[in-house]
Amino acid sequence: MHQREHASLGSRAMLFLGLVLLWAMLWGQFTVLSVLTGVAISTVVTLVFYLPAIQFSRRLDPARTVYFFVRLAFDIVVASFQVAWIVLRPGTVPHNSIVAVQLRTRSDLITMWVAESLSLVPGSIVVDLDRGESILYLHVLDTDDGRDVERARSRVLGTEERIVRGFGSAHDVALVRGTARPPEADPTPPGTEGER
Amino acid sequence: MAIMTVLFAALSFAAPVLVRLLGRRAFLLLAVVPVVAFVHTLGYTGVIASSDGAATESWLWIPQLDLAIAFRMDALAWLLALVVTGVGALVLVYCASYFGDDEPALGRFAGLLLGFAGTMYGLVTSDDVMVMFMYWEITSVLSYLLIGHYTGRKESRGAALQALLVTTLGGLVMLVGVVMLSVIAGTTRISELVAEPPQGVLPSIAIVLVLVGAMSKSAIVPFHFWLPAAMAAPTPVSAYLHAAAMVKAGIYLVARFAPGYAESPAWTPIVVGFGVLTMLVGAWRSLRQYDLKLVLAYGTVSQLGFLFVIVGFGTRDAALAGAAMLLAHAVYKAGLFLTVGIIDHRTGTRDWRKLSGLGRAMPVLAVAAALSTASMAGIIPLIGFVGKEAVFTAFIEEGLRGDAWAWVALVGTAVGSVLTVAYSARFLWGAFARRTTTEPVSIHGDSGAIVAAPLVLGVAGIVFGIGVALVDPLLAAYADTFGHGEYHLALWHGLEPALFLSIAVIALGLLLFAARRSVARLQSTVPAVVDASRGYWTTVNAVDRLAARVTLFAQRGGLPQYLTTIVVVFVLAVGGMLLVTRTWPTDIRPFDYPLQVVIAACMIVASVMAARARQRMTAVLLAGVTGFGLVALFALHGAPDLALTQALVELATIVTFILVLRRLPHAIAQHNRPVRKVRRAVIGVLFGVTMSVVAAVALSAREAESIATELPRLSLEEGHGRNIVNVMLVDIRAWDTMNEIAVLVVVATGIASLLFVSGRSGTPQRLPGARRQRANRRAVPADVRASNGISPAGESPATIDSADASAAEDDHDDTGAHPQLVDAGAHEPTVAHTATPEERLASGARQSWLLAGRTIRDENRSLLLEVLVRLLFHPAIVVSIFLLFTGHNTPGGGFAGGLLAGLALVARYLAGGRYELAEAVPIDAGKLLGSGILLAVGSAVGSLFFGADALTSAYLEADVPVLGHLSIGTSTIFDLGVYLVVVGLTVDILRSLGGEIDRQQEDADLDPGASDDFSTTTAAER
Repeated sequence: MHQREHASLGSRAMLFLGLVLLWAMLWGQFTVLSVLTGVAISTVVTLVFYLPAIQFSRRLDPARTVYFFVRLAFDIVVASFQVAWIVLRPGTVPHNSIVAVQLRTRSDLITMWVAESLSLVPGSIVVDLDRGESILYLHVLDTDDGRDVERARSRVLGTEERIVRGFGSAHDVALVRGTARPPEADPTPPGTEGER
Repeated sequence: MAIMTVLFAALSFAAPVLVRLLGRRAFLLLAVVPVVAFVHTLGYTGVIASSDGAATESWLWIPQLDLAIAFRMDALAWLLALVVTGVGALVLVYCASYFGDDEPALGRFAGLLLGFAGTMYGLVTSDDVMVMFMYWEITSVLSYLLIGHYTGRKESRGAALQALLVTTLGGLVMLVGVVMLSVIAGTTRISELVAEPPQGVLPSIAIVLVLVGAMSKSAIVPFHFWLPAAMAAPTPVSAYLHAAAMVKAGIYLVARFAPGYAESPAWTPIVVGFGVLTMLVGAWRSLRQYDLKLVLAYGTVSQLGFLFVIVGFGTRDAALAGAAMLLAHAVYKAGLFLTVGIIDHRTGTRDWRKLSGLGRAMPVLAVAAALSTASMAGIIPLIGFVGKEAVFTAFIEEGLRGDAWAWVALVGTAVGSVLTVAYSARFLWGAFARRTTTEPVSIHGDSGAIVAAPLVLGVAGIVFGIGVALVDPLLAAYADTFGHGEYHLALWHGLEPALFLSIAVIALGLLLFAARRSVARLQSTVPAVVDASRGYWTTVNAVDRLAARVTLFAQRGGLPQYLTTIVVVFVLAVGGMLLVTRTWPTDIRPFDYPLQVVIAACMIVASVMAARARQRMTAVLLAGVTGFGLVALFALHGAPDLALTQALVELATIVTFILVLRRLPHAIAQHNRPVRKVRRAVIGVLFGVTMSVVAAVALSAREAESIATELPRLSLEEGHGRNIVNVMLVDIRAWDTMNEIAVLVVVATGIASLLFVSGRSGTPQRLPGARRQRANRRAVPADVRASNGISPAGESPATIDSADASAAEDDHDDTGAHPQLVDAGAHEPTVAHTATPEERLASGARQSWLLAGRTIRDENRSLLLEVLVRLLFHPAIVVSIFLLFTGHNTPGGGFAGGLLAGLALVARYLAGGRYELAEAVPIDAGKLLGSGILLAVGSAVGSLFFGADALTSAYLEADVPVLGHLSIGTSTIFDLGVYLVVVGLTVDILRSLGGEIDRQQEDADLDPGASDDFSTTTAAER
């Protein structure tokens, strides 16, 4: 265990209040009773089922966050029709690809958001993820040539940018804007470390 | 009398605690109980000395059957109660010296032995034949546990089982007899059964059955073989159970019933015939033994046969003699067993060929043993002599009156007595004499206190002998139940035939002893004609073989065959019933709404595809589709409760399947191609058709008005809940639920015991260092394996790393099984302690999302899963708690809540492996299951204390200021029990099917030589 620093009060409070809110919403009422029992239950649950503290990004741009979700919904609708067409169109069998995309963020949370959003959109699904290198491996439907692959890659990076601008950390925002340099690559080639 | 049995029981249960506190000295404290009972019994002396005197106590027990817990202290009960408690006290005192403090399971032994004394006391004093039978069976069970005290020895366990089987067999036969008797006579009181015995054929048969029980308990031929084998028990047990107490139960029973039933036609032939045979067989065998304990064991068999003849003979004088012999035998045989125990203890052997010169080395013990042996041989002036002479007199008198059986008994017992004298002399000589051919053995010293018990017993023999005139009226009180007589027990009756017979017996016996070499040669030439013990083993083996045959016939090991059997039986039985039914549905609707058709079509397609699937995983997922189709049907039909539960069950099932399937080959039937596909398909279709028709018929078969219309009202008014399904589960039909969770617990235990072949450890293997992390809750731990940023700050944390690694080695002996744990420290890149979160993120270091993520190999790790589980685990638990509490009024309940919590744990396991699971639930799954059952049973039993029926729910409602209206029912506690059982089951499945298989896989990976079928398959997959 290597404890470098402590989670901010805000991050901890957010998780805790989230649980209380969830409890109150489940009961469908915000009364003294529901909040008090919610606090009690949340306290017991977090104490009994201990999980490591986590640190959120401390940044939230409401407008861009809303934009991300609206765009996601739009993408899903559009992609649904595209996939339906690919399936139903006569003749050709689509060429599919595994596309590796180097993300700019190093945040697990943002990576997860990117991966989940992409998986929600029909036609693309995350098959693997290199955590150390922040590389997403995507299965993409109907990629006839390099242009389609490039389009898929830019879609990934666009999703990443929208998410980071919505609620990524300041450092990540600088990374997607290109105003900060990504960290040095690991001198040991990936893959060797895992082999024992 | 009842108070004594309560005292015995209480102290028996307290005995383990006392032994833990006081060690072996606790036996001295425990001995107080039989002493108190002894004194208490002596208090009845005045009552029983008066003619036909008896003290009774009685509590009505089961009025419908007219059963009462009735005790009756008459002369016979008084005599046996004194023997049982007196010898019991001495044996307990002896135990204090016999055992060491380090003897394993001494507390259990003490409790059982004291409990046995109490049971014997209850047996001889109870007056209700059913209560007596209960005590009778308890002695069998306790004797099983006591003989099997050395649980590690196969011989000891076998002997215990043999004794149990033989005595319970007899016990069951006796139960039949006893029930017949009490039904015919219309009473279960022993005193009434004996006073007014029913006449006729049936009672005669019944009494024979009772005699069989007595014979098995008292080791009479042909049941005698269990007693010598039972010598595997510790010596105090042999002395008490197999000399003074348990084996006397049969004799007691005969003595108890003889006054009423000795005239029964089969009685005398059985009693005299088998008794004499036993006496001769036992004595003959005894002469051949070299193990001193076995000499006594066969001697006991012989003496029990002797007692059987006398107490069962059925005349007043024989009964008096029998009572005297009963007393004499208990005293001398217990003393002799204790003597052998001391010899064994001090010299380390019981084989007399290895012993020499013990008489000089242990004079006190030798004197005590000599007194007891003399009593056994019937030497004047000991009680044994008095008894034996009374026996001979009784038989001679009766024979002269023209009873042929009396002559048989006289000759038999006289010959038996000659042999008795011979083996008595051989025993004494073998144990204590100095033989020039044998080296004197070294003697292990101990406190002299151990000699006290056999000395007291030896001296008692002479005291009773000389003071027999005082004992006589008390024993005569029993004998007089046969009618009054003139004969009295005395040392000197004058020059009578019996005296000459006694003298002749002793002389012949000593002659036999003197010619022991010739006797031994003769014995070795006579073949063992019938070996009852071999008969027992033949029977046991035959039963085993039959069981194996039947199992082999019914269970050939092929799953398809089992399924075929079940399904075909179902089709034939239920389908056959359908053919004769007359309630065919009159009105058939194809569907309620069109969506049903779509869902049904999906389910049908999925099930057909599942049957045709070639991959296991595909088949399971397709079967899952049918389950989720059912979820949709439930939901659309307005049963959100069922839909929720069904969905959770379906998920849990799929997870369980996948956990199992990952160790099986991917393709179905790789090695054995399925045979007779058409036949199987036909059977399957027939089953489906039958089920459909059954459903249709069942729905239209209703004749009475449905009680379902009442359920909404009942659940709201009686169960205080709006969710009818949940109120049904936890209140209206809570018994069903209780049985179901009991089954769940059994299943969980079964799965675990199948997979934890090498023994199931209590708490799961924990992650080293996790406690330290837990202590600092606010810390954001870095994930050491995923971080690739390197920050070679001045201080190197290498020391911490190696400490971590060595801690890992210390925590687990098999560190090799999870090398990644150790390597994690060694290869770990480090980040400066002073880094801010941004810097740390910039440097590429990642935070740890779960506790044990780093124990998983990189290639098997899923970041998405880890992050999602970290974020969703707590909410899932909160929702599951909500489901538990809200279930009474809205969809949910303990079962659904428990399943959700279980699935949350499944997610933890899938994301972080078995160490993650161990961190999430760091306790034994059995404790979860156990506390769940405890809560459910507790809430069920709790209502009994308030005068209500079991499982009656109670509700508390109150308006609390600020908080508002509160309502809580005991059924919620019951539901909490269900919740815990379901969670415990999930944890158990995960731990056995998941974690344990992981561990076995790791072991197999590490040790290619030890790889099994499964691991080769999995290795190929990788």
